[in-house]
Amino acid sequence: MCIRVIGASNHRYAHIGDVIVAVIKEAVPNTPLERSEVIRAVIVRTRKELKRDNGMIIRYDDNAAVVIDQEGNPKGTRIFGAIARELRQLNFTKIVSLAPEVL
Amino acid sequence: MRLEKCWFCSSTVYPGHGIQFVRNDAKIFHFCRSKCHKNFKMKRNPRKVKWTKAYRRLHGKDMTQDSTFEFERKRNRPERYDRNLAENTLKAIKKIDKIRSDRASDHIKNRLKTGKVQRQKEARKQLELGIHLVKAPLALAQDSSLCLPKIKVNVSQAQTEENQPMEE
Repeated sequence: MCIRVIGASNHRYAHIGDVIVAVIKEAVPNTPLERSEVIRAVIVRTRKELKRDNGMIIRYDDNAAVVIDQEGNPKGTRIFGAIARELRQLNFTKIVSLAPEVL
Repeated sequence: MRLEKCWFCSSTVYPGHGIQFVRNDAKIFHFCRSKCHKNFKMKRNPRKVKWTKAYRRLHGKDMTQDSTFEFERKRNRPERYDRNLAENTLKAIKKIDKIRSDRASDHIKNRLKTGKVQRQKEARKQLELGIHLVKAPLALAQDSSLCLPKIKVNVSQAQTEENQPMEE
């Protein structure tokens, strides 16, 4: 669950590419992350449309984020689902390289 | 830049128009406008929605098989830019488009031909049955063709030839 949007003091909502502070509500057992742990994550898919400069508008089917550490490297080793191309410009290169599909 | 086809109605989506929806299995759906997008969200099947190309092709209203469709296949390999090739392609696109639309309209015309013939037959029958409504039986006895009786009108001879200017 999202607690805060980092990067700008007064952002109401986070969009694709924003880093958020979140707390884990549900965790798969036997993983390094536990329930009620406060972590940082970067948003990679949103149901709200993403508008690009060339006029393209993209909407995903779910809201998804990738857990990262303080530098911006993903904590995990695999990423599921498509990723938006905007993350490459924001220097999340590791996430983009792990992604199965970049759209 | 690529011209996509709308998933719902099959019209071309030009850049700057429409919405792309990415499903969780990474399949992309292009929509040309919110009408198609909303129909998709309602889970309507385009093959059952009358105004889509999918319905029309499925029910034989529009041309389905033609050699001109081969030119529009999706090519994923980028071509090295060659000015002559680009010029010739542009000329060819125009010509092929014209040929394809002519053939499509011929297809529709042929499809509607039987209906037209049927309507004419029905009209003739109705005229034969109902001629007494417009032509007196006496006139019908004298002139048994199915048209209105000819009436002679005497027109006065003196007509001025110049155009009189309109009065202001």
